[in-house]
Amino acid sequence: MKAIIAATIIGVIMMFASILSNNKSGIVSLATVLFFFLFGINIWEVYESINATGVAAPAYLNNMMSLDSFAIWFSMLMSGCALLYILLLGKEIAKVGKHVGEYFALIAFIMVGIYLLAGYSNMLMLFIGIEILSIPQYILAGSDKRNLKSTEASLKYFLMGSFSTGILLMGIAMLYGATGSFDIINFRMLQTDALNPLALSGILFLIIGLGFKVSAAPMHMWTPDVYDGSPTPFTAFMSTIVKAGVFVAFLRLFHASFGNLTNHWMMIVAVITATTLFIGNITAVFQQSVKRMLAYSSIAQAGFMLFAILSVNATAWQGIVIYAVAYSVATIGMFAVLIKLKDYTYDGFNGLAKKEPALAFFTTIFLMSLAGIPLTGGFMAKYFVLLAAVQQGQVMWLVIFALIMAAVSVYYYFKVIIAMYFKTGEAELNHEVTGYDKLMLGITCLLVILIGLMPQLLLNL
Amino acid sequence: MTMTNLVYLIPLFPLIGFLINGIGWRTIPKSVGGLIGSITVLASFVVSLGIFFEVKSTGASSTIVLFDFIQSGKLNIPFAFQVDSLSVTFLLIITGIGFLIHVYSTSYMHEDEGMVKYFAYLNLFIFSMLLLVLGANYLVMFIGWEGVGLCSYLLIGFWFKNRDYTNAAKKAFIMNRIGDLGFLIGMLLILFHFGTLSYQDFFGQLKSGATANPSMYNWIAICLFIGAMGKSAQIPLYTWLPDAMAGPTPVSALIHAATMVTAGIYMIARSSALYNLAPDALTFVAWIGCITALIAATIAIKQYDIKKVLAYSTVSQLGFMFMALGMGAYTTAVFHVMTHAFFKALLFLGSGSVIHAMGGEQDIRKMGGLGKKMKVTQITFLIGCLAIAGIPGFSGFFSKDEILAATFEHNKAIYALGLFGAMMTAFYMFRLYTLTFTGTFRGTHDQEHHLHESPAAMTFPLIILAILSVFGGYIGLPAVISETHTLRNFLSTSVSNIAHEEMAHNTEWMLLGISTAIAVVFSIIGVAVHRKPNFVANTGLSKVFENKWYVDELYDTIIVRPLNALSDMLDRFVEKMGIDGIVNGIGKLVRFGGDRVRLLQTGQVGFYIFVMVIGITILFALSFFWIR
Amino acid sequence: MNTLMLAVEQSTPINYLPVVLQLLVAIGFVIFMVGVTHLLGPKRKTADKLINFESGIPQVGNARQPMAIKYFLVAILFVLFDVEVIFFYPYAINFKELGTEGFMAVLMFVAFFLCGFIYIIKKGALEWEE
Repeated sequence: MKAIIAATIIGVIMMFASILSNNKSGIVSLATVLFFFLFGINIWEVYESINATGVAAPAYLNNMMSLDSFAIWFSMLMSGCALLYILLLGKEIAKVGKHVGEYFALIAFIMVGIYLLAGYSNMLMLFIGIEILSIPQYILAGSDKRNLKSTEASLKYFLMGSFSTGILLMGIAMLYGATGSFDIINFRMLQTDALNPLALSGILFLIIGLGFKVSAAPMHMWTPDVYDGSPTPFTAFMSTIVKAGVFVAFLRLFHASFGNLTNHWMMIVAVITATTLFIGNITAVFQQSVKRMLAYSSIAQAGFMLFAILSVNATAWQGIVIYAVAYSVATIGMFAVLIKLKDYTYDGFNGLAKKEPALAFFTTIFLMSLAGIPLTGGFMAKYFVLLAAVQQGQVMWLVIFALIMAAVSVYYYFKVIIAMYFKTGEAELNHEVTGYDKLMLGITCLLVILIGLMPQLLLNL
Repeated sequence: MTMTNLVYLIPLFPLIGFLINGIGWRTIPKSVGGLIGSITVLASFVVSLGIFFEVKSTGASSTIVLFDFIQSGKLNIPFAFQVDSLSVTFLLIITGIGFLIHVYSTSYMHEDEGMVKYFAYLNLFIFSMLLLVLGANYLVMFIGWEGVGLCSYLLIGFWFKNRDYTNAAKKAFIMNRIGDLGFLIGMLLILFHFGTLSYQDFFGQLKSGATANPSMYNWIAICLFIGAMGKSAQIPLYTWLPDAMAGPTPVSALIHAATMVTAGIYMIARSSALYNLAPDALTFVAWIGCITALIAATIAIKQYDIKKVLAYSTVSQLGFMFMALGMGAYTTAVFHVMTHAFFKALLFLGSGSVIHAMGGEQDIRKMGGLGKKMKVTQITFLIGCLAIAGIPGFSGFFSKDEILAATFEHNKAIYALGLFGAMMTAFYMFRLYTLTFTGTFRGTHDQEHHLHESPAAMTFPLIILAILSVFGGYIGLPAVISETHTLRNFLSTSVSNIAHEEMAHNTEWMLLGISTAIAVVFSIIGVAVHRKPNFVANTGLSKVFENKWYVDELYDTIIVRPLNALSDMLDRFVEKMGIDGIVNGIGKLVRFGGDRVRLLQTGQVGFYIFVMVIGITILFALSFFWIR
Repeated sequence: MNTLMLAVEQSTPINYLPVVLQLLVAIGFVIFMVGVTHLLGPKRKTADKLINFESGIPQVGNARQPMAIKYFLVAILFVLFDVEVIFFYPYAINFKELGTEGFMAVLMFVAFFLCGFIYIIKKGALEWEE
């Protein structure tokens, strides 16, 4: 709860900072300090929750929030990722447009949404969390006002987002109709052998509404256009931390409430997973632009995270935590490199290894993690979610399909590596890579490898 | 404190070497980089040697847990090393031959700009390979497995300015990924049915009476074997290996002859407890090995590139090893891995020495008579040829004979085909030797002028390997000669062969006689036919074998020509059209499908929502009508 | 209340039949009326009748002209602050029961709105000329 309050106040402070000062770098520094502070508060909360073992999870807001140890731990990890994001890309955020303070304020508000989604126990909070998380994103997508693509992305995202929100609300309403309650605990009363068609429709609508937010096929169509059109620093944020936050909401609802109804919804999620994996991976192969390829790859990675949803067991919870962090860290790093380049196509990477060997090396590590090569975080992430599905035992065909798709993904990730190391050319940089950039990227790289070596670090719940 | 507890040092040294050379590859001088690379591997070798003697005296097999890797519910996969006779045998091969090749490389790569980077990659490779053989569960093995694939990719494409070379690197990587898929699926099946990935638990469960149904053993075994097919270049995934010759020659010797390509054999030998329960999978392994051995050998006869001949020969020899595995004679396969590592590394390094002297020329039609200028290379190369051809007394004889004896016992058809393969081996190896080292020089004057013996750093490994190629076979003498088979006894603590009856002594003598006769006769034919190169045609041949000319013609028509035609046909149809066609066809299919899917992304919000609604409708239809 | 809950728990598809019937009647009625007027009504198309109706004033140019963003901005801000007032009605009714704690909550709510108000003024969102 402290983190939610703190993030809100940070948002307000950033709003006023933009009124009081025109100094961009000053605002960035303020934001960095405040996010450090936010991370500290999260750690404090984790510390408290560790000391309070045995006590029931504290409930807030008339039992609409239940901040159990998982919620607090996950919030802490996401704050850490957000801090890393601001450290890596803070200067780039300042370059997007005039309203620097507001950008950080919106990011802080999105964090509030993520905290709500991590610990909600009432459908009302789910909805409020989703909206707090989405609306700032519509604005961030269009923050580069003079760029037509950015404006288009914003409008598209807004239109389709409202459509999916409608579906989500419809699902909530139907579940209310079936159970007479908004509390997710009460959904457990639903009986699997005599399931009300109203409840089943509600569950399906929820799958679709949440599936839209995590860009699962066939609700994925907005993703490439929005991620490609948005200013790159915000794409990095939207495609990683935000998506991870929604996934935890997804997981919480379907495991806590509908865990005993799996025979009704698991095959549907499996079909969605297969479609998502297929469309994400196959289409990514054909992209010319690395930014757009990363947009499709984020669809593909969402396909892997969906494995955690459909395997209802403890490993899935561990898997989603590792996946969220490993994927976020590697992708943020990848975008931090991408933003340095002038040309976002594959050819823009030609000969980068000669010009900036350190940058090329870091990129290689990030891409290897995204492709799931062992000893990187991405491998552990894929391993855990697939392990969860194997333990669950009903979808072996899907696991095998996912492995094939993972092999396909190696192709388009390695295309970048080949361009950097094996092709000659002059990779043009937007601006110089400073020692600070290298240091931060190096730390990100170390995190990627650390997760690959010791995934247990992320699971000390 | 026993040596075994120091096992973590073995991969640690090359890792340190990799880090030093990798971080400082721009600043470290070449000689220092080479020194660091070589010394770290030597240090690993010394530790391996210590552990070897300890394991040899105690016969113990132990698992050393370094740290907890994955813990999830009941499943616990530690990052642990398995030290037993099998892994120690491979440790010695990897670090020993690895060291010799590092020494050789200090001289071979001396003129290359990226020499320090090269040593960094080489050390990384050794590190990954050591992880592969040391891992105490399939996951650690898989990490090493991927690591060696990556290093192989980096080293094949080391001279990346040439587009063909980078394509070769890509081909190798992608073909290996196809194999890895099988491995992964096998791993998941094991996990699913046995709930563990550690060798100890898994084999323990297998021995204590199974939980899964028997056909599942076959499936798991075949999935694992598909992984081995990719890594060890078996049909249909072998075409990457000849292309991989684009890398520097020492890399070919180390990765594509002595160590990495034998990872598949290691994996199957390690899983012997599983394969013993999967007779159908074993038959499959044996036949794939047999067909590979034959086809690769026929192709080797036609090649003019010195390294390509050796590459196809490697594929063929790997086929022999899989034949042995398919017979359940796992120790025999390991024996052949070892002797093959000696003589094939020797041959590759020898060819490197030749290429070095020829200034980069690899075409044997432009060589000839090199023996006069390069005595050490010639003699060591000859020893390698004698060993691989299976001339009695040399190492290859003992291991190959053991394979043939095993096939004779279980499957006469494979035995006959194997014998045919051995025959061709002797033939093409001596063809290679004759065309390269004897006769007159056929290259340009400049090249002739430039011919010289290689420096000591290159000849020293050649000599060591030549000695090993001669005497390496004496640790596995056939039963008729010696009562004890040293290697088999040593390995028996960790690998369980399928039990077989003792062969009657006279049968065994007969088999030895047949293989000896075949090896000798076809070596001589190989020399004789190519004494004067083909293109000076029959007159030259008839001069050499004046009074036996009809024999030459007979051989030419009965053996050489049909073989040439066959190998031509296989080269042209099976390889180019069949296998390449299938592989490329799958690629094209993916491209086509992706192209269609991409067109859906029109940019129209209305259309997007339309697609979404259609999707929703389908999902609803599925859940209300189908899933009930 | 009890009977309502009971009905909810026992609801089966058949219970929704009245809803479906009403839906069908409603749709049918609309289709019927539109169709009948379309068929029965006399049609005399003259130029005067086909032009858009603009409060009796002759039509001037195209309606799709760019408008100043300020209109929208002021409109959306009006809606925002208008919604705030709605919350005061239920609070006013429950003023006594909610006591000090409720008062503090509302105070915080107003404080947040004040922050927003100061923000938009400082940002110049309400300045008409620029």
